[in-house]
Amino acid sequence: MYETDSPEQAALRETVRDFCRQYADSSAWKRLTGELGLTGLAIDERYGGMGAGFAEVAVAAEELGRVLLPVPYLSTALAGTVLNDGTPQADGLLPDLASGALTAAFVFTGDVTIAEGRLSGTAGNVLDGSEAGLFLVRADGSLYAVRAAEATVTPAGTLDQTRSQATVAFRDSPALATGADGDRAEELMRVLLGAESAAAAGHCLDVTVAHLKSRKQFGRPVGSFQALKHRCADLAVQVSSAQATARAAVAAAAYGQGDLRILAPLAKRYCVDVFWHAAAEMIQLHGGIGFTWEHEAHRYLKRATTSQLLLGSPAHLRRLVAHRAGLY
Amino acid sequence: MEDEEFRASVREWLATNLGGDFAGLVGKGGPGREHEFVEQRLAWERRLGEGRWIGLGWPVEDGGRGLPWSQQVIFYEEYARAGAPGRVGHIGEQLLGPALLTFGTQEQKARFLPGILSGTQMWCQGYSEPEAGSDLAAVRTRAELRDKEWHLNGQKVWTSLAHIADWCFVLARTDPEAERHRGLSYLLVPMHQPGVEIRPIVQITGTSEFNEVFFDDARADAEAIVGAPGDGWRVAMGTLGVERGVSTLGQQLGFQREFESVLAQARGNGSIGDPDIAGRIADAWIGLQVMRITAESTLGAPLGTAPGTEASISKLLWATWHQRLGELAVDVAGPSATLTGPDYGLSDAQRLFLHTRADTIYGGSNEIQRNIIAERGLGLPRG
Repeated sequence: MYETDSPEQAALRETVRDFCRQYADSSAWKRLTGELGLTGLAIDERYGGMGAGFAEVAVAAEELGRVLLPVPYLSTALAGTVLNDGTPQADGLLPDLASGALTAAFVFTGDVTIAEGRLSGTAGNVLDGSEAGLFLVRADGSLYAVRAAEATVTPAGTLDQTRSQATVAFRDSPALATGADGDRAEELMRVLLGAESAAAAGHCLDVTVAHLKSRKQFGRPVGSFQALKHRCADLAVQVSSAQATARAAVAAAAYGQGDLRILAPLAKRYCVDVFWHAAAEMIQLHGGIGFTWEHEAHRYLKRATTSQLLLGSPAHLRRLVAHRAGLY
Repeated sequence: MEDEEFRASVREWLATNLGGDFAGLVGKGGPGREHEFVEQRLAWERRLGEGRWIGLGWPVEDGGRGLPWSQQVIFYEEYARAGAPGRVGHIGEQLLGPALLTFGTQEQKARFLPGILSGTQMWCQGYSEPEAGSDLAAVRTRAELRDKEWHLNGQKVWTSLAHIADWCFVLARTDPEAERHRGLSYLLVPMHQPGVEIRPIVQITGTSEFNEVFFDDARADAEAIVGAPGDGWRVAMGTLGVERGVSTLGQQLGFQREFESVLAQARGNGSIGDPDIAGRIADAWIGLQVMRITAESTLGAPLGTAPGTEASISKLLWATWHQRLGELAVDVAGPSATLTGPDYGLSDAQRLFLHTRADTIYGGSNEIQRNIIAERGLGLPRG
């Protein structure tokens, strides 16, 4: 019943974690795609992928998210996942996505419309949009692929400097109908955001606990004060339940266990809220150092806030879950 | 037997047996309602025993059925789904039984397990005392071995179902000289004897399910000690968390039922149109899913293993969630929740609201659970 890592997934997790210890900067992308082939995890081997699946993509996303590695992994790996299951027209894109030569971004919002194979309209807050070579745009419920050269991409300054956003404008841009389901892609993106958030929340807790064990005031480790212990314990409860919830959502997405239309928004809402709280507590429990630019805590709060506000706000997702569960 | 075949057999048995004399027990008993239909529920325990539905996961050589956890879960699910009554024998089955299976002698197992398995002997737990609540190791009740009998003197409190129980497993101080955890022993004491006096405690709900138990030279056989003298703390702690896991999933179904009745009331009286109420209802539903998923993720720990911090995590999650649901229930009910029936008769919403104030206190308060998680789970230094 409990979806733990398979031996292969555990090995993958360890590999990615080791990798992140060594190459935690933006130059990591080439190695991550070339050496490790992470963007091709869910792509068939005949297209140069690894022939694994969405659960493996989620494992990689968790480990990269844990350290906020500034690479456009989520969108590109998800593009490989959904296009691999799409119609043959999109197969030509798969080898470049698998090799990492082509990076992707999804457009779920904005006023983009499709007419006679051409897209028009504008969308803001396109995650991983600044460096994307390919846009997968939801229009009329399905995904259309547009090369970045056919769009006007305006990179934005971002609160979270570890994940880019752009405003993307299309004007009669020629688009390829991929046959992939745009609504499902959005749910899968929610699952990935939930999974990476649960992992990142775990990191915030680990770092905070380590700090409280070593930081001394009043002649003893501050972690011996009950007021701080109890806050960490509450975080541990949240992190542990968020990680279980993320796994359940991944299992729904990858293996069809459970209702993805409920679990995806539920996991995104719950796990990102937990992450946000863990990041906020990380700052508070580190004291002054947590407020500084040099400490990593601020980056986690900014990532959590960004994840919270995109792909459905907490209030929106709560309503969505309630509707889909038939509560009202 | 395959899981689905097993599920069908549970369903069929419940459908057949939860009728006739027992039909009136559907939805009765359980926390906050322990005063309901006590005699009939004791008869139901015996019926469960006859059907061999007690000790499902216990080893076959000890009289259990050795069923895998997946089938234990199925039993709890079907039990809750059928609205079968709140158990009376659960303290024996879920707390004493595992203690005996882990720490008991062959003679003790042969003497005490059959009564639990047949649903004929009820147990209560004698741990807490007026001066030993969260600090359980401060237990003062004394037991001295004289003339091949333990002589007990002292007082226990918050003893659930003591007025129904035949036996009590008691944490008592047998060596006043030893360091406090090491001076305790785990004794099995008959309740029907002159040296035991039971006084019910009237609770916040106006009803009683907890009691004070006074031992005034109460007796227990010299052999009625689990583990060696001085092992009491280890035995008690080794089994405190074993009720986690499979039974939590049955509990989730009870929670689901309570949630649905709050939802039905919110729909019925229109309060669901209030955005705050609607949001809290959605949060409660999400919380219920998160609890179920988290409980499932910790399933399968073998019986009798010392609990990790999963038990504390699960307790904090459900106790806090349940208490919030109780608060939501009276807010949904509105002004009608301020009125009672005759003799302080409470509505389901009122009972849920009041009774769940205890959830964050008993079985290790939220604060104690947080200490356990922080110190044993996260390794933060003791204060």
